[in-house]
Amino acid sequence: MAERTWWRLGWRNLGRNRRRSVITAVALAVGYFSVVVLVGWWDGVVVEMINNGTGILTGQLQLHDAEYLPDRSVYRTLGGDAGVDVPALLARVTADPAVAAAAPRVYGGGLVSSGAATAAAAFLGVDPDLEPHVSRIMSTLTDGRVPARGAKELLIGSEMARILGVKPGEQVVVVAPAVDGSMGNDLFIVSGIFATGMADLDRTFALVPIDALQALMVLDSGRVHEIAAAVPNPWNAPQAAARLDSVLAGTTPPLAVESWTSLRPELVEYAQLSESFNWVLLVIIFGMAIFGVANTMLMSTFERRREFALLLALGSLPNGIVRSVLYEAIALGAIGLLAGAVVTLPVLVWWHHAPPDLSRFVGDFTMAGALVRPVLRVEYPWSMMVEAAVALFVTAALAAVYPAIRASRVAPADTLSGR
Amino acid sequence: MVGLLLAASVHAASAQESARDIVDRVDRLLRGNSSRGTMRMDIVTVHWSRSMEMRIWSLGTKYALIRVTAPQKDAGTATLKAGTDIWNYLPRVDRTIKLPPSLMSASWMGSHFTNDDLVKESRMIDDYDITIGFDGERDGVEVWEFVLVPKPEAAVVWGKVVEQVRKRDLMPLWANYYDDRGELARTLRFEDFRTMGGRLVPAKMVVLPADKPGESTTITYADLEFDVPLDPSFFSLRRLQRDAGSD
Repeated sequence: MAERTWWRLGWRNLGRNRRRSVITAVALAVGYFSVVVLVGWWDGVVVEMINNGTGILTGQLQLHDAEYLPDRSVYRTLGGDAGVDVPALLARVTADPAVAAAAPRVYGGGLVSSGAATAAAAFLGVDPDLEPHVSRIMSTLTDGRVPARGAKELLIGSEMARILGVKPGEQVVVVAPAVDGSMGNDLFIVSGIFATGMADLDRTFALVPIDALQALMVLDSGRVHEIAAAVPNPWNAPQAAARLDSVLAGTTPPLAVESWTSLRPELVEYAQLSESFNWVLLVIIFGMAIFGVANTMLMSTFERRREFALLLALGSLPNGIVRSVLYEAIALGAIGLLAGAVVTLPVLVWWHHAPPDLSRFVGDFTMAGALVRPVLRVEYPWSMMVEAAVALFVTAALAAVYPAIRASRVAPADTLSGR
Repeated sequence: MVGLLLAASVHAASAQESARDIVDRVDRLLRGNSSRGTMRMDIVTVHWSRSMEMRIWSLGTKYALIRVTAPQKDAGTATLKAGTDIWNYLPRVDRTIKLPPSLMSASWMGSHFTNDDLVKESRMIDDYDITIGFDGERDGVEVWEFVLVPKPEAAVVWGKVVEQVRKRDLMPLWANYYDDRGELARTLRFEDFRTMGGRLVPAKMVVLPADKPGESTTITYADLEFDVPLDPSFFSLRRLQRDAGSD
C-alpha cells in the first residue's frame, strides 16, 4: 500500500474511539501547556530577578579604575588622582547604542549619628538628576524627598532611619574619612527615606548629592569612583561593555568596564540554573505523558488485533502496520499540540500583560540577592515553545513504538481463528 | 595602646620567673594607675602623611581621654574611652558620637590602630597561653621571645602573638600579631627607651601593618606623668567636649 494510505489509515483509526482519542490528546495538550506556562513563569521570575538585581542600584554596566574592584579603595578614582572630565566621559558612555543613560558615583564609608544612636554607613554620592535614569533606588522613596544637588542632605534607608530614630527634616552628623587623611565631618539634613526591601541596602546605604560627598571627602569634582550605566535589555550589556572597553582603551590609568554579568555573577548562575531546570521539567512532564499515550495505544491496537491479522494475512508487510500505528500516534500528537497551543498562547498573552498577583498571599522574597515580587508575570518562552512541541511529537512517537511492534507481530492464523 | 603610658615600676627579672609571670609583668608595665601626657602621632600611608599632637589622660585600663591639639584643622577633636565604649567629639559640628560596635575594628583617627586597640582592657595572661619560643641572645642582647596563643574561649582578634622582651630591663622590643590563618597582620616596634615620669618606658611605638607595605603609624611621647590624681568622674562626656583646662 502507498504511504498516503497508511497515513489515512492512522488518521481514521483515531476516530474509531473518539472519546479515548480526545482524552489522550488532552493529556498531551495539558503536558504542553504545563511545560510552556511553567517555564514562562520561571523566565518571568528570572527576568524580574535580573531587573531588580541590576536595576535597583548596580546598573547593567559599570566603569571603574582598573584597580578599584574588589577592594573599593576611596583613593582609586577614575583617572587617578587627577580625576576625569566627568561630563565628557558620561557622553562617551551614553554614545554606545545599547546604553540608555549613565551617571557618576562616589563611594565613601563612615557613620551617621543622630546623637542618640550611631550607624555605620556606606555613602553613595549621586547626581540627583542623572541617577534616576540608571537605578531605581531613589524612586523607592517612602517619605520626604530626594536630596537636592549641592545641598548637605542625605537620603537614608528605612532600616537606618529606624536605628537612628530620625525622620525627614531632622539633622544628623555625618563622618567620613577624607582622602587627605582627615576625618570629614559635617551636619546634614535627612531629606527622605527609601525602602528597597533589600535588608543590606536599607540598613547601610545613605545617598548624598555627589558634590556634597566630594566636599566632605576632600575630592575634586572630577574625582568619581564609578560611572554606572543603564542597558535596557540586560542581555546586551556584556557586548556593550566589550565595545566601551575598546573605545576607552589606552586611558591612563586604565579603566575597567564591567557588565552586570561579571559584577553580579550569581544572577547569571541563577539564570543558567533555571534554564537547565526547564529541561528537567520538560523531561519529567513528557516522560509521564509517554506512559499515558502508550497505554492508550496498547489498548487500541489490542482491540484491533484481528484487523492487523487480516491485513497481514492479505499480504501486508508488518512494516506497514508499524507505520500506520506510528502515524496514528503522530496524528494524535498533532491534535494535542493544536489544542495545547490554542489554550497556551492566549494564557501566555494574558499573564504577560496582566500577571496573577500573589502578593496578598506571600510577601516579596529575595533570590540570589535580588528582590522578587510574588507576581507571576510570564515571559514568552519562545525557544521552549518549539522545544516542547518537538518533545510532544517525540513523546507520541516513542509511546507508539512498542504497541506498533506488537501489532505487527500478531500471528494471523491464530488471531483470526479466535485462538 | 593607651596602656603603654601606664608603666609600673620594674624589677630585674630573675631567671626562675615563668614565662607567664614575665609576660604579665611586661603587660602591666604598659598599664598602671593613672597617667597624663602629650604625644605625637605620625601616620604615613601611600596616599598621604600627617602628624597630630595630642594630650592624653588615663585611669586604670578603664578610662582614657585623648584630645587633638594640632594641627589646627583637627584641634579639639577628642576620644573618650569608658569601659568598652568609645565616644568621639567633633568640634566642627560640636557633636559627640558614640561609636557603634560595628566600627570597633575600624581605624582610629585614620591611624593604623583600631578602635578595638583602645578599648581592649583584659590582661594578656587571661586571654593567652604563653610559652617561651626563644631564650638567648639576639644581636648581642639577651632576650626572651614569648609565643602567645589565645585560649579557646578568649574573645581576642589575633590568632597568635609573638613578643620579644629584653632580659636586662624587661623592656618589650617588638611584638608580631598574626591573624587566624597564621599570617602576619602587623608588627609593633618599641623604641627609644627613656625615663619619663620616673619610669623607664618605650617613648616611641611604631605600628607596621603587614598588608600595607610602606605604611606606618608612629606614636612618640613628649612627656608623661604617672600616678596623677584623676578620678573616674574626670572622664565624662562634658569633659570630652570641653576644650581647655581639662587638666
